[in-house]
Amino acid sequence: MKPTRPWSPYLLVAPAILVFGFVVLIPAIANTFLSFASWSGTDAIQFVGLENYFRAFRDEIYLMAYRNTFVYILLTLVLEVVVGLLLAGLVTMAGRRTTFYRVAFFVPVTLPMIVIAILWSFVYSDDIGLINSGLRASGLDSLTRVWLGDPNTALLAVSVVSGWIYAGFYMAIFYAALQRIPKHLIEAAVLDGASQWRVFFSIKVPMIRPMIEVAVLLCITGAFQSFDLFYVMTNGGPDHATEIITTYLVEVVFRYRDLGYGAALSTIMTVVVVAIALVLVKMRTKGGSNDIEY
Amino acid sequence: MTSSTERRPQRRRTTQVIAVAGSRTLYHTVMIVLSLIYIVPLAWMVMSSFKTKREIFDSPFALPAEPDFSTWGKAWERGDLGGYILNSVIVTAAAVTIILLCALAAAYAFSRFEFRFKTLLLAPFILGLLLPVQSYLTAQSRIFDSVYLLNTRWVLMISYAGLGLSLAVFLLKGYLDTMPKEIFEAARVDGAGDFRTLVQIVLPLMAPGISTVAVFSVLSAWNEFLLAMLYVQDDSLRTIPAGLLAFTGRHATDYPMLFAALSLVTLPVIAVYTVFHKQVIAGVTEGSVQ
Repeated sequence: MKPTRPWSPYLLVAPAILVFGFVVLIPAIANTFLSFASWSGTDAIQFVGLENYFRAFRDEIYLMAYRNTFVYILLTLVLEVVVGLLLAGLVTMAGRRTTFYRVAFFVPVTLPMIVIAILWSFVYSDDIGLINSGLRASGLDSLTRVWLGDPNTALLAVSVVSGWIYAGFYMAIFYAALQRIPKHLIEAAVLDGASQWRVFFSIKVPMIRPMIEVAVLLCITGAFQSFDLFYVMTNGGPDHATEIITTYLVEVVFRYRDLGYGAALSTIMTVVVVAIALVLVKMRTKGGSNDIEY
Repeated sequence: MTSSTERRPQRRRTTQVIAVAGSRTLYHTVMIVLSLIYIVPLAWMVMSSFKTKREIFDSPFALPAEPDFSTWGKAWERGDLGGYILNSVIVTAAAVTIILLCALAAAYAFSRFEFRFKTLLLAPFILGLLLPVQSYLTAQSRIFDSVYLLNTRWVLMISYAGLGLSLAVFLLKGYLDTMPKEIFEAARVDGAGDFRTLVQIVLPLMAPGISTVAVFSVLSAWNEFLLAMLYVQDDSLRTIPAGLLAFTGRHATDYPMLFAALSLVTLPVIAVYTVFHKQVIAGVTEGSVQ
């Protein structure tokens, strides 16, 4: 449609562009420039070429942060997406009267993550924590440990909290997708005597494959950006065992005031996230999974 | 022959009823155990807030012997939780208002009009969907500093508005794209200009889309932590997530009070969520899946 006045579309778009430009676009462009410089924020900006990037690839903590982020992604894919899928299966199985369960599983998504992080720091705490107290009460004293202080368990412990938060979220999106499958397709299988779980894994799950692929994409890109849980529960420790890209980035920029280097670290992260997202989106379209028709 | 065929389905139905009843009990047992994983930590939090410090250490699973309700009042006063909540309300309300107004106008223009720089103007918002805030945080903090925005409420309002815009524009554009164009043509024939159509036609018809975007934006602004911690140092301006963390640092060992503070900010959210759970779940999931 043609506008009644030629300038009105621009006037309508202007406020959004102004706010978005100021908060996202200009900083994103400036950040790329900053990544080629050395700057503490107060002294003069010094152009250093690719030095920040070379430094990043030799920075052992940064490489460790990538390793931890990838381990975290694998753990959250299981603890969030797979568990979410199983929860969705359980919730659809009963047909009705599952609102209570669905509401309960989704609660953590609505709470501030900081509140959850503080609460779970207590749950994991050595002296008052629910987990160690529970283990002691059941005579399993040997299994108690300082969950967040032990380099062997810290990353897993944080991932479990992440699963506790987001499994319910993935359950909700899978549940919505499962509700859209036409009943007659499932009834045929049930008449043939297929069990509930068989129907779920052989018919329902393949039918919601597009949604599962979206969930995997969301889970991976979300894991790259996670910060709150790690910052509050471990702050990257012990001995960088839970250092992820974002916690290290914040440390470099806001504690060491190494702004050019921080900008380079974040530019590398952007390239990695966007590349992974593009590969996943491409795989989706290649798989032809969008062709499913009910 | 006849009798056996008649009896068989009968018997099968009885066994089936038993099997179904058995599996239903099993099913609900499994589901209740799973729900407990969600309920127990939250119940423990509330329960501990009524206990003494000693009880928290000695009997973590027991109910409080003499519930101490004064802890909540103490946490409210000492933690200045009222102040944090007020800041969160102001910041969230402002950010969501900016998001809805700007995004609705932009989505309307992108969806309904042909104009010269449309693709060029739309492209940045697509980029915004992909870019994590951490990827431009360094430069953003310096820009905000140079215009004296740091340590004000404005910095969070504007940041949350800018961060939420990409998704809001796309969701609302998606909703508008599905509307029949006859509605807009009819408004045009009746003599409505571009802006009047927005206010009198688009706004009322878009109520479901607007509420989805609103739920999504409210939750992300209300719960945002990273920028709230980095950009606001003044305790009296802090929002709940950053304020609560500062509070935890100050009273690191007063466990009953810490649990009371956590309960105080959690329970109202759970109450609101329980009432509006349908809209909240739909808003969050639709918003994320786009």
